[in-house]
Amino acid sequence: MRILVVGAGKVGATLAEHLTNEAHDVVVIDSDEAVLQRCEDTLDVLCVHGNGANAQTLMDAGVDHADILVAATAGDEVNMLCCLVGKRLGAKYAIARIRDPQYNESLTLLQHEMGIDLAVNPERATALEISRLLRFPFASNIESFAKGLVEMVEFRAQPHDAVTGCKLKDLNTRLPGLPRVLYAACERGGEVTIPTGEYTIEPGDRVFVAGDQMSITNFFRYLGRDTHAVKNVMILGGGRISYYLARIIAPLGMKVTLIEIDPDKAARLSEELPSVNVLEGDGTNQELLEQEGLQSMDAFITLSDRDEENLLTGLYASTQGVPKVVVKNNRVNYADVISRMGLESIISPRQITSANILRYVRARIGGHGTKVEKLYRLLEGKAEAMEFIAREGEPYIGIPLKDLTMRRNSIVAVIVRRGKVIVPFGNDTIEKGDSVVIITTESSIGDLNEVISK
Amino acid sequence: MNKKLIIRLLGTILLIEALCMLPSLLLAAFHREPSWTALLASALICVAFGVPMRYLVKPQTSNLRAKEGFLIVTLSWILMSVFGALPFVLSGFIPNFVDALFESVSGFTTTGATVLTEGQFMDTINGVKGTMPYGIGFWRAFTHWIGGMGVLVLTLALLPKLTGRSAHLVRAESPGPSLSKIAPKMTDTAKILYLVYGALTLAEFVALKCCGLSFYDAALHAVSNAGTGGFSNHALSIAYYNRPAVEIVITVFMTLFSINLALYYAIVIGRWRDFTSSEELRWFLGMFAGSALIITGIIAGPVHGGNVGDALRHAFFNVATTMSTTGFTIDGYTTAYWPVAAHGIILMLMFTGACVGSTAGGMKTMRIALLAKQGRREIVRTYSPRRVQRVRFEGRGIDERMLHQVAVFGFVYVALVLLGSMLISFDNRFDIVSNFTASLTCVSNIGPCFGAGAAGFAEFGGFSKVVMSILMLAGRLELFPILAFFHPDVWRRV
Repeated sequence: MRILVVGAGKVGATLAEHLTNEAHDVVVIDSDEAVLQRCEDTLDVLCVHGNGANAQTLMDAGVDHADILVAATAGDEVNMLCCLVGKRLGAKYAIARIRDPQYNESLTLLQHEMGIDLAVNPERATALEISRLLRFPFASNIESFAKGLVEMVEFRAQPHDAVTGCKLKDLNTRLPGLPRVLYAACERGGEVTIPTGEYTIEPGDRVFVAGDQMSITNFFRYLGRDTHAVKNVMILGGGRISYYLARIIAPLGMKVTLIEIDPDKAARLSEELPSVNVLEGDGTNQELLEQEGLQSMDAFITLSDRDEENLLTGLYASTQGVPKVVVKNNRVNYADVISRMGLESIISPRQITSANILRYVRARIGGHGTKVEKLYRLLEGKAEAMEFIAREGEPYIGIPLKDLTMRRNSIVAVIVRRGKVIVPFGNDTIEKGDSVVIITTESSIGDLNEVISK
Repeated sequence: MNKKLIIRLLGTILLIEALCMLPSLLLAAFHREPSWTALLASALICVAFGVPMRYLVKPQTSNLRAKEGFLIVTLSWILMSVFGALPFVLSGFIPNFVDALFESVSGFTTTGATVLTEGQFMDTINGVKGTMPYGIGFWRAFTHWIGGMGVLVLTLALLPKLTGRSAHLVRAESPGPSLSKIAPKMTDTAKILYLVYGALTLAEFVALKCCGLSFYDAALHAVSNAGTGGFSNHALSIAYYNRPAVEIVITVFMTLFSINLALYYAIVIGRWRDFTSSEELRWFLGMFAGSALIITGIIAGPVHGGNVGDALRHAFFNVATTMSTTGFTIDGYTTAYWPVAAHGIILMLMFTGACVGSTAGGMKTMRIALLAKQGRREIVRTYSPRRVQRVRFEGRGIDERMLHQVAVFGFVYVALVLLGSMLISFDNRFDIVSNFTASLTCVSNIGPCFGAGAAGFAEFGGFSKVVMSILMLAGRLELFPILAFFHPDVWRRV
C-alpha cells in the first residue's frame, strides 16, 4: 500500500520504519530538511520537502493514489488540515494525531467534518496503558485481546517461582493446582523464543502468559505474587500524559500525588484536577520525594520530558522499595539496558502511538483471507501478538490443531468462542467466528493463512 | 563495522559480474573464437570467489551505516575492475595486467580511454587483420553499460532483499549532489531506472541498425553509448563508417543519455511538466547549443571550407561527445585539425559534463549552475553587502549546506585534476598540455585528451596508468568515496 506520513518526528519516523519493514510504499513529508535527510539516510522511503497541509506538496507526494495518509506533525491543527486536504485530493483513509485535550471533547464532530478516520492521541493512549499496569501491579506489561476477555501479562520469573526449573509439558502434573494458562513468549538474554513443551523457564526470564482474566489472576496468586491493589500513586512531571492518567485513575479510587516543577503548570493542574494532590517542586530532589512519603507509595511513575531524569528517579524509587515503578523512555534502543537495571515497566509513547496506527493500517490491507484485526508489539517489538477473526470457508476451519502445520516461531495462544476463552491444546479446533490470537517472532504476517496451513 | 555484510555484498557483485560476462561469452562461442575459454574462465573465477563470499558468510545484521556503505561502493568498483580485466589478460589480448586494468577501469567508469593501438581493433590495416575478437570486443563495450548506471543499482534492481539502508549504496553511485528517488522503495527506483536505460539502449540499437550497421556493430555502439563510455571496435571510432546518418543518430543518443533518466520516467507517467520545467535541463541545453553554435562559427571556414551543414554536424557531435563524456570521435577535434579557439570551449566543456542522474560524468550541470549562482551572489555582495540572497534552483531555495558541499566539490575536482597532471608528469613522457588534459579526461570520464596523448593512452607509463585508473574511479564515484578510501582513519581498528 502507498502510505503518506506527514511529519517525520518521533512518531512519524518510528511509524515509517515499521511500515517499510512491512513492505509498504512510504512517502515522508516534512518541512525540515535536516530531519528529512536523516530519514532518507536510514529508511527506504521517498522524502518530499514541504508543508504537508499544502495541496501542491501533497500532490507531489502522490496523495491522489495514496491508500492512507497519516498526519503526525507537532500541530493538531496542521494534522486536521492535512487530513481535510488529503482526503479531498484522493487519499482513501486519513489518520491524524490529535493531542490537545480541548479538541478531544469535540472529537467526534471534528473527525466527521475533517474526514479523519482515526484520531490518535499519544498521551491519552500512553495514560491508558499505564493505568492498566497500575490495575495489575504484578505485571510489567499487559495487553488485552478479544474485547478485554483475554489478557496477556508479562512478568519476570523469580528463583522461588514454582514454574521455574521444570519443562513446560511437565508443569501440570507436578503442580496440579496451577491454573491453566498459555506460556506465549519468553525472553532470555535478549533472545525471544516461542516456547514449546520442552522449554524450561529459568529465573530472570521475561515471560508472557495468556488466558482469561480469572485464570491470570489465579495464576499470579498461585505464584504468590503481590496482587493487592495500588492505592497511592506518585507521578513525576505534569505533562499531558500525567493529566490524562490522573483523570483515569483518580475515579478508580487511587490517591494521586503529582509533582510539577513549573509553578504555572502546577497551578493549572491543581485547578483542573481537584482530587489530585499537586506539588510544586523538583521531582528529582530526593528530599522532596521522601518528605512526600515516597516509601509509602504503591506506585511511582516518572513522566518528565527527559528520559535520563525519568530513569534516575525511577531507579531511586525502586531502591527505596516502591513496589511498582513505571518509567517513560522514548529511546527504544535502550530498553534492553534499562530492563537489565531492574526497571521492568518501561513506557514509550511513540511506540504505543505507532503501534496504534499500525494496528489500523494492517486492518486496512485489502484482499481476501483472514486479516489481522489487532496487532500488539511485545518485548520491544521482537515478538508480535495478533488477533484474527476466523471466517467461513477458510481451509483451517474445524481441523484439530495437531493436524495443522504451524509456521515456525509461531503459536496459537488463545481462541475465543462466543465469549468463552479457550487455551488451545492439540485436539481443539478453530471454528468460524472465533477470535484467534497468534504470537509470533516472525514479522510482517498479515493473514492467518500465512501462519496455519493444512 | 559489519565486515561480514561487506564481504557478502561484494560476493553478490562478483556473481552479477559473472552473469554480465555471459553475452560476450555467447558471442565468442557463436563466432568460434579461441578467446571464449578466456571469457568462460573469467566468469568461473568470478563465481569461484563470489559463491563462498555470498553464501558462506552470514552477517548477524543487515544494518548498513555510512562507513560500510561507502566501503562497499568503493571496494565493489575496485573488485569489479580487477575481475573485469581478467578476460583481456587470459585471452592474451592485453597481456600486461596494468594495461588490462586500465582498460577495465576505463570501461566501468565509462571513460573510454584506451591503451589499444591501431592494429588491435577489428580493422584490417595494410592487409593485416586486427586482433580484436568479437567476444572480448563486446565485453569491453559492455563494461560501459554496466558502469553507466551502476552495478549496485543493478544489484538492488535484481535482489531487493539485500539490505535495509540502501540509500548509502546508491547515493555514492548515482551522480549528483542529492539522491533523487523516483519511487518510495529504492528497489523500485532501481528497477525503473534500468527499464528506462534498457529501453533507450534498445531504441539506439534499432536506430543504428536502420542506418545499416551490422548487428554486432549496432549492439556494441548502443551499449557503449548508453553508458556514455566511448569504446568502439574501430580504431577510427565513428569516423570509420563515414556516414552522416550514423553520426546524427549517435549525436542524438549521446544527448539523450546526458539527461536525467528520471525525467524520461516523468514523461512516461504523464508528468510532462517535470520535464519541461527542469531548470537543469535548460542550463544543459543552453550550454550545449550555445557551445555548438559558436564552434560552428569557428570551424565552418577554416576546417570545412564554408560548408555550414558539415560544420554544424561536426560541432554538435563533438560538443555532445564532450558534454556527455562519451568520447566517440569523427575527426581529430582535439588535435591541430581544429583551431585553438574551438579547443578553448571544448576544454571548458570537459569540466562541466551533463545532468545529474544521467550516465554522463564531469562535474554535472546542476553543480555548475549552483556554482555560477553562488559566484553571482558574491559579486552582488561586494556592492550590496546587506542584500539577502537565497540561491534558488528548480524553483526552490537551496540549503546552504548543500551549496557549501557543491563549492567544496568544485574545488576538490580542480585540485584533483591538477594533482593528477602533476603525478602523470613525473613519468616525463608528454608535454604538460597532454598530461593536464589526460588527467582531466580521466576525472571527467570522457576519453580523448589534447596534444600528443590524443593518439591513445598506450604510450603513457605504468605509473601514470595506475594514477589515471584511480582518477577515473574517483571521477565516476564523485570523488569523496575514493578519497576517503585513502584516509588512514578508515583503516584504523577495522
